[in-house]
Amino acid sequence: MTEPAQALARARAAAAAGRERGLYEEADPSLDASPVTRISQTRLVEWSLIAPDIERVYSTRRLGAPITLVKRLLIRSLRQYIGEAIAQESRYNAQATAHILNLEDRVRDLEEQLKKRSKPVSGAPDGEASGRQLR
Amino acid sequence: MKVHQLLCAAGPVDAVTNQGLAWRRQFASWGWAGEDYAEVLAPGMDRHAIRPLKAFRPGRGEPVLVHYSGYAPGLERLVRPPSRFLVLSHNITPARYFWELEPSEGVRCSLAPAQLMKIAGRANIAAGVSQFNADELQTGGVADPDVIPILFDRSRLPTPAAPPQGPPTVLFVGRLAPHKRQDLVIRAFGLYRRVHAPDARLVLVGVPISSDFEKRLCRLAEEVAPGAVSFENAIGADQLHDRFRSAHAFLCLSEHEGFCIPLLEAFHFGVPIISRAVGGIREVVGDAGILLDAGDDLPVVAELLHLAVSDPSLRATLAPRGEARLDHYAAPRVATHMRTRLEELAAG
Repeated sequence: MTEPAQALARARAAAAAGRERGLYEEADPSLDASPVTRISQTRLVEWSLIAPDIERVYSTRRLGAPITLVKRLLIRSLRQYIGEAIAQESRYNAQATAHILNLEDRVRDLEEQLKKRSKPVSGAPDGEASGRQLR
Repeated sequence: MKVHQLLCAAGPVDAVTNQGLAWRRQFASWGWAGEDYAEVLAPGMDRHAIRPLKAFRPGRGEPVLVHYSGYAPGLERLVRPPSRFLVLSHNITPARYFWELEPSEGVRCSLAPAQLMKIAGRANIAAGVSQFNADELQTGGVADPDVIPILFDRSRLPTPAAPPQGPPTVLFVGRLAPHKRQDLVIRAFGLYRRVHAPDARLVLVGVPISSDFEKRLCRLAEEVAPGAVSFENAIGADQLHDRFRSAHAFLCLSEHEGFCIPLLEAFHFGVPIISRAVGGIREVVGDAGILLDAGDDLPVVAELLHLAVSDPSLRATLAPRGEARLDHYAAPRVATHMRTRLEELAAG
């Protein structure tokens, strides 16, 4: 009878052998759902321009196809008004996003200037460098 | 007796909603009355079974069971005397999983822990569905939280069949969401299929958190295992049971789980479990599955899938242990525990 611990040990050994033979090489995946502490600039810019998907307007009722059709027709009949609302919202979002990105750039520049100013003048090794030498 | 239930959100295929409905059936079997409410009712939810939270008007001193699973605006205003509350924490996913892919969900998740601690602190009884959830409550300052596990009624499931025939089939059941890491499940499956089983299939059952996330998972699946991955998000209970019956392995690479009910379903159907040991999973699985260490990478998972499919003695080792885990979570025992606590609550 195979115990879970034995299965794990066998799998680790087989994976190590497979890795050596190059069996487990992977191309860069198109999606990595790893957690992040903040939203990337690219996503922020993407989301600033609103583009609602009409496919997401539907009825959840059984035999709701006619209701879906009516809802979508209603949206089409109001497209001038909805288009204007989207344009106004997107304009504000884009301006606000640009402002945030600009602020980020300025903060980065200021941090770099601060770093340059606080560098040792005589070329003496800093803490990290001297630590590396000791190792 | 009359016991009401409050849910943060309710949907037709939501695990916490199903728990609310299961408890309602249990209460009815004891002759208890009461109504169920939710702050958010998803499209397709039966509004007779669960009503909008704004209609909640409890009678004086009536016990209320709050199933907490996410931020619900205004809930803290409702959880106060003279009603008597049992707050049951199901799970709050850390917000960091949603900032990049679904920021509005991230906002809700970041507001939820403070709200949970506030209402759990005010409740007459606070509990988690797992020790992991109870420990979170205790860390947040809630005194002596209880553990009242998921009500899992096996009698509603069909009898498990013999080990499946056909091409190797890997299964995962859970909402398509970043913290469930279906992206890693797909990649591990892709490696397994490439190295060991070109005819293998992966079945991912779960409602997507957004159509964008679902599209990105589908794209990844086409890249690493074209035509071998199926996404199923609108299947009924019978079809779900068929998926378990035809699975050779249940693979869970979630990074955060409060309990993970599909693990119990996998035990019932005798499907070997390979999982990360995170959140409540370690205590639910115990010795009845293969729990990965933090250092185990996707090739190790791929090799474990190969063993789960090809080594019948591993399946034979795990099956009786899964039965023992199901005995531990037996519905009559859990129901008796809940009944005792709710009767205490009613007695004041």
